[in-house]
Amino acid sequence: MTQVFYYIFTLVFFLFDYFILAMGLNIQYGETGILNFAYIGFVAIGAYVTGAVSLPDSAGTGQHYILGLNMPFPFNLLVGGLTASAFAVLVALISLRRLRTDYLAMVLISLSLVLYDICNNFVPLFNGADGLYNVPAPLAGVLKLTTNSFIPVFAIVTGIIAMILWFVMSRITRSPLGRTFRAIRDDETVAAALGKNVFRRQLTAMLIGSFYAGIGGGLIIQFGGSFNPSAWLPGETFVVFTVIIVGGVGNNIGLLVGSLLVETLLVHLPAFLPAIPGHAGLIEYIDAMLIGVLLMVMLWFRPQGVIPERVRKSSALTKLMPVSSADVLVHENALNEGGNA
Amino acid sequence: MRKADVSLSLKGEWALRCEGITKAFMGVVAVNGATFDVPRGQITALIGPNGAGKTTVVNILSGSMLSDSGTEHIGELEVSNWESHDIASLGLMRTFQLSRELGGLTVLENLLVAPKIQAGESLFNVFFRPGQVRREEGDNVNRALEILQTYGLYALRDNRARELSGGQKKLLEISRAVMASPQILLLDEPMAGVNPALIEKIGGYILDLKAQGMTILMVEHNLNVVEQICDHVIVLAEGRTLATGLLSELRENKEVVQAYLGEVIDASTTR
Repeated sequence: MTQVFYYIFTLVFFLFDYFILAMGLNIQYGETGILNFAYIGFVAIGAYVTGAVSLPDSAGTGQHYILGLNMPFPFNLLVGGLTASAFAVLVALISLRRLRTDYLAMVLISLSLVLYDICNNFVPLFNGADGLYNVPAPLAGVLKLTTNSFIPVFAIVTGIIAMILWFVMSRITRSPLGRTFRAIRDDETVAAALGKNVFRRQLTAMLIGSFYAGIGGGLIIQFGGSFNPSAWLPGETFVVFTVIIVGGVGNNIGLLVGSLLVETLLVHLPAFLPAIPGHAGLIEYIDAMLIGVLLMVMLWFRPQGVIPERVRKSSALTKLMPVSSADVLVHENALNEGGNA
Repeated sequence: MRKADVSLSLKGEWALRCEGITKAFMGVVAVNGATFDVPRGQITALIGPNGAGKTTVVNILSGSMLSDSGTEHIGELEVSNWESHDIASLGLMRTFQLSRELGGLTVLENLLVAPKIQAGESLFNVFFRPGQVRREEGDNVNRALEILQTYGLYALRDNRARELSGGQKKLLEISRAVMASPQILLLDEPMAGVNPALIEKIGGYILDLKAQGMTILMVEHNLNVVEQICDHVIVLAEGRTLATGLLSELRENKEVVQAYLGEVIDASTTR
């Protein structure tokens, strides 16, 4: 029973963590149309940097890494998120200015592979193929948590962070800025012809999305206490893509549903199943195949996802207005009575 | 000063002037030294046979495409090869030959994207000046609803733009451009594929915009429309300016008749 309890909270952790990751990718791809195939690289940067700033100086730890600042939670997490954002600026300057759609996607996936090779092979950076381990469990000292009691507490903390980030993201996507993002997604030539600086807006979307990626990565390394290159193979990006495509591109609630269906039920739940005798690791491969099949089925039969992007009705926009603009409602009523509708 | 911060008030005789514009695609010359002026506050037609380079010129003037050589002025300001968003910020808006609606957005949202400066497009303002964002959004919604009412799209305000018919999309593009309060409007075949009743309506809207002081350059094949609403005509053939003037004068121009008008008149008489 106790084991099941911890399993459930592990699933809860991944539900919320992938919800955060999905929100980050969604603002880049779902809202702004940037095919960021390097997304998992930003998750990894967040994870490594959060881990490295949380750990003490590397001397005597048996690991090789930079930083080592003993930084407490949640500052370590913020540093991880901000570093991922800073890296996004660099990537955007290289790729977004001149490249569009397919070419941009190719450059980004190449970048992800380069980043992977550097982290995997350049040991002084983040301990190479062994990755970082023994990362301190956040809040464990303050709340006197044991290894087991840490799991539900941190799952709940992750849930709270996810809700805060959801609130922030909702504010952005409902604002005129969010509308401009969607205009760029639908047709960047038109958006530019309407006076929108497409590059600057894409850069903003990259910054926001990568911050979410960094936070999501930072939470992963703190939850498990370790992180190494096998955790972020470049193909992992497509798991996050599957989450948002299944849940519903451009819909924040859909992303939570996608995270539940894909990451929690399909990726992590089977990991707790007993191995098939004589076929160790087979479940993992079946899992990967199922994700691929699910992605294809959804794109074929329901590309809008389980919960499609909402139509933002005029009534919702007029509701947001301050009292000084209430004359719009009068205007609406007049039109409804005698207008050409 | 950043290009985006430049504001322009058109005072001279000409709103738009281009000189020696050239553009080639993989060696194929599409525009070959086009030179013309667009008079301020008037409706100018850009006509010519298919492949004359009219749409390429519109693309270059609006910054959607870079020219290989030549200069472009808006008023007294040289804007050669400025980026599209900088040119739009000066007050030059355009529509497209094949309607390009923002399909995933509603009709109303299509218009709300258009205003040039919006406080709500800044991340800082979204979180720290929500009152200002809301007030401005309220004003923009108000104005957008009025424009939709004028252009007969009010009933469709909550429909996704991709659901509109061809004619409705043409109207949406014009109303979206109007929402940006432009000084110069480039219309690329606004009547193409539109039924006769709607052609008349669109013609009326364009005349209204002229009455409001807007300068309009429109690519158009329908010579009846050109005759009825345009003050000035530019004929483009093989990428260069063949002639400019009134349509009635151009009908007497042998070169123009040979290159374009004769062809069209013949075609219309055979129908």
